[in-house]
Amino acid sequence: MNATPLLSGRGLTKEYPMGAERVHALRGVDIDVYPGDFLALRGPSGSGKTTLINLLGLLDVPDQGLLRLEDRDTATLSENERADTRRDRFGFVFQSFNLIPVLTAAENVAYPMLLKASPPAAMQARAGELLAAVGLAGKEHVRPDLLSGGQRQRVAIARALANHPVIIFADEPTASLDSHTADTILDLMRQLNQERGVAFVLSTHDPRVVERAARVIALHDGAIEPGAA
Amino acid sequence: MNRLTIAWRNIMRNHRRSLLTGGIVAFGFASFALAGGFMAQSFDGLRNNAIRGGLGHVQFADARAFDQSEESTLQFGIGHTGKVMAVLRANPAVDVVMPRVEFYGLVSAGGRSVPFAGIGVDPEAEARGSNIPKSVHQGQWLESKGRSVVIGGGLAKALKVGLGSNLTLLATTSDGTLNAIDVTVRGIADLSIKELSERYLALPLSIAQDLLSAPDTVSRISVMLKEPANEPGAATQLVEELKRAGVALGVKIWRELAVFYLQVRMLYLAIFGFMGAVLLVVVFLSTANATLMSVSERTREIGTLRALGARQRRITSSFILEGALLGLASSLAGAVLSLLITFAINISNIEMPPPPGSVKGFIVSVQIMPSVYLGAATAMMITLALASFFPARRAARASIVESLAHV
Repeated sequence: MNATPLLSGRGLTKEYPMGAERVHALRGVDIDVYPGDFLALRGPSGSGKTTLINLLGLLDVPDQGLLRLEDRDTATLSENERADTRRDRFGFVFQSFNLIPVLTAAENVAYPMLLKASPPAAMQARAGELLAAVGLAGKEHVRPDLLSGGQRQRVAIARALANHPVIIFADEPTASLDSHTADTILDLMRQLNQERGVAFVLSTHDPRVVERAARVIALHDGAIEPGAA
Repeated sequence: MNRLTIAWRNIMRNHRRSLLTGGIVAFGFASFALAGGFMAQSFDGLRNNAIRGGLGHVQFADARAFDQSEESTLQFGIGHTGKVMAVLRANPAVDVVMPRVEFYGLVSAGGRSVPFAGIGVDPEAEARGSNIPKSVHQGQWLESKGRSVVIGGGLAKALKVGLGSNLTLLATTSDGTLNAIDVTVRGIADLSIKELSERYLALPLSIAQDLLSAPDTVSRISVMLKEPANEPGAATQLVEELKRAGVALGVKIWRELAVFYLQVRMLYLAIFGFMGAVLLVVVFLSTANATLMSVSERTREIGTLRALGARQRRITSSFILEGALLGLASSLAGAVLSLLITFAINISNIEMPPPPGSVKGFIVSVQIMPSVYLGAATAMMITLALASFFPARRAARASIVESLAHV
């Protein structure tokens, strides 16, 4: 790709303590995420996919390396600026959906807008529009515990889109879904990616994700496999 | 959807635990409200007893009389009483003026002699401004004319006399000689303080002045005001008016003289403060455990909210809001509980034994004090907010990745 990357990581390294030893989760990874990307991070368990997503999504900080969001070094961001960046520029989809159980589907979608102090009418309208876009029109007032796994993941995708993000990070988005539902969710993500131009970064072992990805990066033991990007 | 709605839904998420926590808070609130209401009732009773037991709202005397003891009868007496009384009665803020002569003597009947604390009073003024006439349980209160007296029940018992008995009063006059008069028992007063009951002897002012050979002289003048709220202002105004009439007198408002009232009030407030502090600690510890569990159970949710862009401060403040809201709701329940218990106590006529130094018991009564209710609700809300603050702040500061991985 010739476009300027939204996110650019160089030499990203992350270690975790495990007992008396330290585990090298990432060993100097270089990665770029471009506008409108549909990038799959592939690899077995423990390969560093989730760690890389956490670093790219500003959920965690690298021990070494440089991560730039557009033209800014993310190491210079304060804790509040990192939170605001996640709120305004990023969206997140989790393997276990992570919906707020006391909120309805529409309220879950509207929550990131509430964090931004958006007007109530605008929140309501946008939540309705996004739920319709993910095929959940009419489910606005339903609580998550009354929705199926696929419906919950759709709500999570709608929530991720709430504040017009430039990138959505999805960590194993199909791992808790049956095969048919997983296909539907992946098609939805790809459709939103193409229609709205929002970039997706997905970590997965699911070959269906890899099949649909525009780019695939394979990770192994915390490093990118040569020639995989 | 707003933060209050979300907070309330989170409270109701585990309604059994919230009910238990709320029950502890409601009980704590009721304890505050009832103790405060009982205390307020006691203060009112004590204040009323002090004012209507002889102090009045404002008291005038020779300035030395407030600080020193008399070495001879009426050493610090107020002369020209008629002139002073006229000035005081002319003030529209004054309701009743009660002149008094205080002295000590010996009372004899049928060969028995007992020391007494005499008080010469204006019977009609006392009937309007003092509670002593109401305590006469045998016979009648004094009348202005006639050589009759009212004595305490304890004194009557010591002298073995009853209504209509003749007594001889012996006292030292203002010029140091001894004088005696014969009087008749017209009434016997039921006084709650034992020592007072055994010494109390009231007689008309003019008879006391005759006995002490001190015409137109009194020890002090108590004044009851129509609007008691502004005692210091009224006292200052009356002193100025007396000065303009050429009379210089010392003045004290009842609070400066009611040592017993102030001591009891301080004691009650100290006990209430200590109990309140203990209660708040108990409520804090009881609710902190529930809050800690609630925060711990929602660790992954906290991680999710932070991933979505919620700042640490927002997470902490959300839990504080939940705590305060639960405190408010529980306080409302506690207020209802308090009102029901107050009503039950006040209609039950529960009699308590006499307090130390008293011979009469009293009926337990509890006031409804809006200020105490408001204070208790505020204290409960702050306590629960504090109980939420520490675990919430810790969870909000935890690593997002670790929070999301929490099972």
